[in-house]
Amino acid sequence: MSEFYDLVVIGAGPAGMEAAITAAENGVKTAIIDSNPGAGGQYYKPLPGAFQVSKKGQTERNGEFLTRILEGLPVTRIYDTLTWGIFKEEDRDGWLVTLYGPAAPKQIHARTLVLANGAYDSPVAFPGWTLPGVITCGASLILVKNQRTAPGKRVLITGTGPLLLSAAAHLIDAGVEVAAVCEASHLFPRALRYGFTMLGHLPRLFEGAGYTRALLRGRTPYKTGWSIVEARGKEQVESAVIGKVDKDGYPVPGTEQVLENIDTVICGYGLTPNTGLARMIGCKMEYRQEKGGWVPVRDQTMQTSLQGVYAAGDGAGIAGAENARLEGRVAGAAAALQLDYITEKRAGEIYGQIKRELMNQRRFGELLGDLFTAKPGLISLAKDDTIICRCEEITLGEIKTAIAEGARTIGEVKMVTRVGMGNCQGRICERLVAGAIVQALAQEKATFESAGAYSIRPPLHPLPVGFLAEAGEEQSDDYAKGVE
Amino acid sequence: MRIKRSSSLLPEVRRGKPVNINVDGKPVEAYEGETVAAALLSAGIHTFRLTQKHQHLRGLYCGMGICYECLVTVNGVHAVRACVTQVAEGMQIETCKELEL
Repeated sequence: MSEFYDLVVIGAGPAGMEAAITAAENGVKTAIIDSNPGAGGQYYKPLPGAFQVSKKGQTERNGEFLTRILEGLPVTRIYDTLTWGIFKEEDRDGWLVTLYGPAAPKQIHARTLVLANGAYDSPVAFPGWTLPGVITCGASLILVKNQRTAPGKRVLITGTGPLLLSAAAHLIDAGVEVAAVCEASHLFPRALRYGFTMLGHLPRLFEGAGYTRALLRGRTPYKTGWSIVEARGKEQVESAVIGKVDKDGYPVPGTEQVLENIDTVICGYGLTPNTGLARMIGCKMEYRQEKGGWVPVRDQTMQTSLQGVYAAGDGAGIAGAENARLEGRVAGAAAALQLDYITEKRAGEIYGQIKRELMNQRRFGELLGDLFTAKPGLISLAKDDTIICRCEEITLGEIKTAIAEGARTIGEVKMVTRVGMGNCQGRICERLVAGAIVQALAQEKATFESAGAYSIRPPLHPLPVGFLAEAGEEQSDDYAKGVE
Repeated sequence: MRIKRSSSLLPEVRRGKPVNINVDGKPVEAYEGETVAAALLSAGIHTFRLTQKHQHLRGLYCGMGICYECLVTVNGVHAVRACVTQVAEGMQIETCKELEL
């Protein structure tokens, strides 16, 4: 017999933790699920339990504080567990959440859901981007901060956004030589427009200033309007070619420079919201470039187009960890209200307390989104023989052929070429395939909206052979109804 | 490479106990709390797998369990994500095996 919960929160980062805390504090029977071994998500990722640190930073302390509150509440915590499917249960007016993890139940029931699935680095494809040694900015930060392991000896950092500075500062502190930081966006004079909004975020500016000082100490060139154009090497990265890009992201021919003896290229071209579960269950989606791409449509209470399904944090639109925490609280309170654990008045009070700060964080998120979005021209860094779908090894040329033969949407390109059908379920290549369609069909005024998105079906993650069959046999009949 | 020095952004940590692991039959240094990916990179191993179609080399990419590029074989189990799997005593890791998915 599987467990029933009033609320199941998927994702235990800043948004998910706050949602679970707010709901549980108000009496809601809550479970929280995460694929990591503990709470924290990527932003508050705790050091491995076996590591001992001499001194903790502010972010770590904030994360631990939140984790302790969560652990002090009667919330069922299911970690080290993948959520591979969510199915509507018509007869119960709720959801069946199917899980895979060493200590996890195979399924739990939820009356309401908070999806707080966070984000991952948006990919940009260039010749050599599949070589060992090319990693994402997120990967470099996890390695350095969480594993205290340097990815290489001499690295190039390329992409867009403040995370590049964070990665650079941490790597320099770790003793790694950062050959250059290439910021693909042209920040000036655009950044000047945001002077006033910036004032409200002084702590973050100081954080940025601290990172900048590290760059200056390391005498690291910070080149705005530049990007990697090619990674070279036989068995792993050996050198990198960088070049200027115009304000739309198109490479400027003749500006290339070769950086020799590079063993690692760190790429962070902004973040993409992780929306697989929202899409699987049919939440209405919209394309919002400044929020990182496809995001679920939400009302003020963080409710998606589906009643009782809320989405919060970067997984519903990139706006940072502070914003995620506030959205999580709103979603948790809204779920508690819908489940009749609190009155409308109480929910209004909770919302009232954080409304102003939420607006403030939103504005900052929009500023970052506007300044640091990976520009569409960057797709032209890929050549016809550059792999676009890393899992199925499909090149840009193959995708262009499919488009020339009539494919107009991502779904159609997928049917012809198999892009997006591999292990990552299209998470990595979706934006690139859409970009290729937009570029190839510029005359037809194709857009990211018209190119569409992959349709997402369970299982959301590859599962061991036999697990699904076994799960099917053991399931009670509600599962069979779920997968109709 | 393991970061040994202490700095303002990265204060010194003490890793967990040493753990005996083998990579492609050879013993490799590893400590409790480390991921397979971190242990491999510290040992100078950057290629984790070969692709099925073109036998291209691949290694760590997203580092957070999203992209499935860092798949290795652990104790005979194929397609284990090195970036989100912690090392354990006696672990046998194989890189670049033919993966049956």
